[in-house]
Amino acid sequence: MINNKIGIISCSGEECLGGTISRLAVRKMMEELKPGMVSTLCLPLFIAGDGGEREFAEKYPTIAVDGCSKCCAKRAIEKYSNQVAGSVDVAEIIGEDKALEKPLSTRHLTDEHHEYVNKTAAITCQIFDDILAKQ
Amino acid sequence: MSESICVLPCNGLDKCAGDLSRRVALELAQSAEVALICPVLLNQNRSRYEKALAAGDLTVIDGCNTRCASKLAGDLELAIKDKVNVSEVAKTLDIKLGVDIQENDDTRAVVQAVLAKVNSSAADQAESEFIEPEAVEYNSFSHGKFIFKVPQSNYFFNENDCWVTVSGNMARVGVSDYVQQNLSDILYVDPPEIGDEFEQFDDLGSIESSKAVFEIISPVSGTVVAVNSSLNDAPEQVNESPYEKGWLVEVKLRDFSEDQDLLHDCPAYFEFLQRKVAEIDV
Repeated sequence: MINNKIGIISCSGEECLGGTISRLAVRKMMEELKPGMVSTLCLPLFIAGDGGEREFAEKYPTIAVDGCSKCCAKRAIEKYSNQVAGSVDVAEIIGEDKALEKPLSTRHLTDEHHEYVNKTAAITCQIFDDILAKQ
Repeated sequence: MSESICVLPCNGLDKCAGDLSRRVALELAQSAEVALICPVLLNQNRSRYEKALAAGDLTVIDGCNTRCASKLAGDLELAIKDKVNVSEVAKTLDIKLGVDIQENDDTRAVVQAVLAKVNSSAADQAESEFIEPEAVEYNSFSHGKFIFKVPQSNYFFNENDCWVTVSGNMARVGVSDYVQQNLSDILYVDPPEIGDEFEQFDDLGSIESSKAVFEIISPVSGTVVAVNSSLNDAPEQVNESPYEKGWLVEVKLRDFSEDQDLLHDCPAYFEFLQRKVAEIDV
């Protein structure tokens, strides 16, 4: 059940490293940086149309965190719900070439990858705080 | 494993099971023979994967029972060769997967079990002992634009529209023409495991179309000795030939004379189905 009124959707992350980073950054926000304050919406579920995800993104500000410039999460929100309240493209943070490297399992992450996760999560948090300040 | 496989995981981020589907998919993708399919990109731009899907069999890995990956494959009318549900596998291991994404012995055990299930999907099965009849004669009736066929003899039905036909102490189980017409294009058959023992009216797997999932309710009690593996490549045989080529499970009967008390023979089922179709007004 979704209680928090700012949503966040990560890219599904199966095609590239940027996707892996976006997923981990969203988890970091949810578990460490903004625990209990953010509603993560599952992108595959969002697309499948079940679970109230689309309705949530229609009513409440939702941030898209995408792994690369294809911006699947952002495009899905705009297609099925509403304009995004904020958008992060990991490729702009870590570079397009890096973002398009192969996706990784969390077990194979290096310090460099963790740094990318931290940067992405920090930028997403900033967007989150800006939205919260306006509410 | 076949030489070329496309893996479509659900990739959910909300629950541990979704994350495990991704972990399994990434492990499988270590092999050059496996093409990984992103559910979101597939939904957005199917043409990106047309080549891979044409060349390889599709394995779907769902995290939970919302079955987003299966639904996506169904919506896109992709034929599913094999399907695994991470939460179901965890349940068989008595492991409870929560919301938090974890890397521990339990999640590693689930990943290994799912990998093993994917790799052993083409389980060996004994040569069929069932003797097929030479020809099946049918009666039919129409209702609106639909024509329903029922065999004239040698088949028995429960009221869940599942049939059994017997040869000695062996039998084959399937679904009626009425079921396949209701489901429309069947995309996937989820059979029971070979060796499973079951009672009459137990669940004996399921079949799935883009419209619905139908649970196969066994008309008899016994043991599964074979499943119709040709349905992996051609599940549409259930639509095309529900009483013959589209059989689902072969079983060794326990006590057919007792089971038979609760089944309709062909003429009785024919009448039962006529009434049912009229009442439901299909």
